[in-house]
Amino acid sequence: MRFFIDPWDPGYGVSLDVDEIGESIARVVADIELPEDQWRPLDPGRKVEPPAVTLFVDGVRRIDARVWVGEPADDSIASLALCASYAAGVVCCCAAKGAHLLVSDVRRGLFTTSAHAVDIPTRAGTYCVSRADLDSRIASMQALSLALQARLGATEIDTAKVARAALNGHGLSETDDLLVIDGPLRGRQDLPRVLGYIKSHRREYLPLHLRRLVVSLLPGQRTPVFLLEGSWDRYAWYLRLPCTVGAPWAGIVRLECSATLVHADAIGMAWLSQATLCRYASVEYKDTRAPQNLYPIAGLERQLRRRLGDAMLLYRGLRRAGAYR
Amino acid sequence: MSEQSGPRGQTVSTSFVGRVVGTEDSTPLQFSVALGVDSYLQLDDVVVTERAVPGLAPVKTSGVVTEVRARHEGANFGSDVFLIADGVLPAQVQEIAEVTTTRVEPEFYVPPRPGEPVRRATGEERAQALYFDRMDQKVPVGLGRDGDPVYINLEFLDGTRGGHVSISGISGVATKTSFALFLLNSIFRSGALGRRAINAKALVFSVKGEDLLFLDYANTRLNDDLRGDYARLGLPAEPFASVVFFAPPIPDDLSGRPYVTGRTSGISAFWWTLAEFCANELLPYVFADAEDERNQYTTVIHQVANRLRREATATGDGGAVAIEGQLLRTYDDLVDFLFKRLTDEDTRRDWAGPVTGTGTINAFLRRLRSSLKPLRTIVRGDLADTADRRVSTDNQQITVVDLHNLPERAQRFVVGVVLAAETARKEAAGPGGLLFTMIDELNKYAPREGTSPIKEVLLDIAERGRSLGIILVGAQQTASEVERRIVANSSIKVVGRLDPAEAGRPEYGFLPPSQRARATLARPGTMFVSQPEIPVPIVVDFPFPAWATRLSECGAPPSAGNGSVRRDPFGRLPPVNDDPPF
Repeated sequence: MRFFIDPWDPGYGVSLDVDEIGESIARVVADIELPEDQWRPLDPGRKVEPPAVTLFVDGVRRIDARVWVGEPADDSIASLALCASYAAGVVCCCAAKGAHLLVSDVRRGLFTTSAHAVDIPTRAGTYCVSRADLDSRIASMQALSLALQARLGATEIDTAKVARAALNGHGLSETDDLLVIDGPLRGRQDLPRVLGYIKSHRREYLPLHLRRLVVSLLPGQRTPVFLLEGSWDRYAWYLRLPCTVGAPWAGIVRLECSATLVHADAIGMAWLSQATLCRYASVEYKDTRAPQNLYPIAGLERQLRRRLGDAMLLYRGLRRAGAYR
Repeated sequence: MSEQSGPRGQTVSTSFVGRVVGTEDSTPLQFSVALGVDSYLQLDDVVVTERAVPGLAPVKTSGVVTEVRARHEGANFGSDVFLIADGVLPAQVQEIAEVTTTRVEPEFYVPPRPGEPVRRATGEERAQALYFDRMDQKVPVGLGRDGDPVYINLEFLDGTRGGHVSISGISGVATKTSFALFLLNSIFRSGALGRRAINAKALVFSVKGEDLLFLDYANTRLNDDLRGDYARLGLPAEPFASVVFFAPPIPDDLSGRPYVTGRTSGISAFWWTLAEFCANELLPYVFADAEDERNQYTTVIHQVANRLRREATATGDGGAVAIEGQLLRTYDDLVDFLFKRLTDEDTRRDWAGPVTGTGTINAFLRRLRSSLKPLRTIVRGDLADTADRRVSTDNQQITVVDLHNLPERAQRFVVGVVLAAETARKEAAGPGGLLFTMIDELNKYAPREGTSPIKEVLLDIAERGRSLGIILVGAQQTASEVERRIVANSSIKVVGRLDPAEAGRPEYGFLPPSQRARATLARPGTMFVSQPEIPVPIVVDFPFPAWATRLSECGAPPSAGNGSVRRDPFGRLPPVNDDPPF
């Protein structure tokens, strides 16, 4: 396989938020916890204790280079591909060892639409081929980016499973833990005791009169649980993290849990999230995404980015590999 | 977490402590080690690392830890530590030790490569790192921080390749005198001198109380721990065996008894007779202030001293002299006599030289008069002469001269005269034995500014002494106030606790910055020892003295036969339970 490293900065052309592509919500079922007309801000439940172990899962990705992959028959035809490093990891917050990195997994991939692409070994590691399907609705660059995101999501699930297994050594009862995944829960609903944690709100799920309630939440309060039905179902609720109240949606996060739970269990998860997450909220001067970017997740992202390796070194390794083909 | 710095697929020994870090420059002379989770290094630990060099045998770099740092990796703000302690923010504690290289073997100065395992050096490797393996004769100076002995090379003590010891530190906390005595004990008792030990002597001037007057008594505080320390150093935990003590006579007392309170036996009074004072031209040592040499009247000193030597004749057995028909029995008599001769118009020319002005003569006389009080007890013509009043190092290993009861001017006189006499004696005897001369408060005798007869003697010893076999062991609070040539000539430099302002002076340039900072909080008994062969000073703890340092610590009295002072004048009398002859 011949390939050429594009000299442009790898960041060009991928500015698409891939979280909610192709999402369509058919219906919001509001009266899960409280009837819709009785919706009110809910204070933290006094009897709910945070779990002994809270696991935070997150992943980071970085595009190391844009690559042109040549067709074997004709060098003049080449398709755009991405070389990316991505990593997922789990931070465990427990009383015994504090917050510590439990598992991390660093991978490198070549995301391409070409059928002839093969792995690229470099001095800094091997970029394994991942094929992306072309989608006529979006640009090819965005399709590649989506493929990368999908791989990262899969890696996150893998590490979460490994982390759950590693927890067995902690000497805890099997059910006294909570897994918080940074981002929507889509595709990961089948993990037990898992919460999806969404920091940014690009889509308005609730009707206007219920959105007013979200805005009126005080720090620490949450909305009642509601059910989102659409291409995939899940329970959701909004929670305002401790913050200085400013903009209407400051400090608001959306939490999701699996629709396979019964109503009562979903409501239990909501109380649990309220008791657990506020303590991890960051403050403005330490984090530019405060308070939604939780401390453990910020720390995890820092540690994962460190493990991705030096971008210049990897870029150079790729150029070298391309030159010696 | 896979990146904890434990061994990865390599076989490493149990002494593994960490790996050379790559985030800081690694150089052949200094490198840093990231420590493994369950490992630690403290300052002064000795470590070793190896690396492969293409086409060569593996290069082994050994060094001493000169700094250790610990920090949170993954924390950006000072307050993050609370989040980390609360278990909210993930972070890692990482300790990094800075190592200063002491030895590279074989001598290929290549940097240790990041990632190479580093191990704690013990036994043979430690001896190699600190060059003990290259020392033919080694003298133990104390225990390192790791509890193993630290040595210095005898060749840098006995004059073979170097000599002289300079010990600095705050008085009271730095334990300079104790260390000097420990060192002397080590030199004499470790066996390093071999047969030369028989002819090796020490002359100790004691200026601070009667601390040094009990060197031959065992210390009652000697316990098994302490004996263990001495055993590890290969030294007997015993007091000095062969010691003679001298003290000035009691002032205004004609019995000639030594002026000490604690020790009642085995100590002799020392003084000089007027006859010796005149014959040996001791007058210049009376004028030993640093500023004196710049003045005109120094010519008068030498004129008068010369005249005294020619004119004085010894009279009687008390050391009195007759000069120009006058009998002089005391130092006061002598000063009065000189006063008359120098103020008399007729005799002034003969005594002070033909062209000397009266102003100069008056300056001389003024200073001569002020010496009356300090010197009248040690320059005498009125005491019955005894054999053991002469300060001499001939018949015993250690000679202690107690000066603490003397005024400063008299102390200078004694040190000057004794050193000059010993230097002359060694010069005449040729290089055979060794004489270790221990002087406390060296800055008093050899100050940086000005000159004096005593400073001349000390400089002579510092520059020429090691070929004569005279080794200076000088102690001072501040090396910056001692004549530079004396400090520069010292092969062994020792530092105890230092004043922070003093620690910053260039005289302590041999201490790396971290050790300078540490010297300001060194505990009693901890010394930084620098010797020419090892590029980093080594911190040692020397054991508490096995000999008594005050009356209350005196244990078993010394056994008889320790040189001249042991003689019992009544020993030949019949025992008291002898039957009466009737």
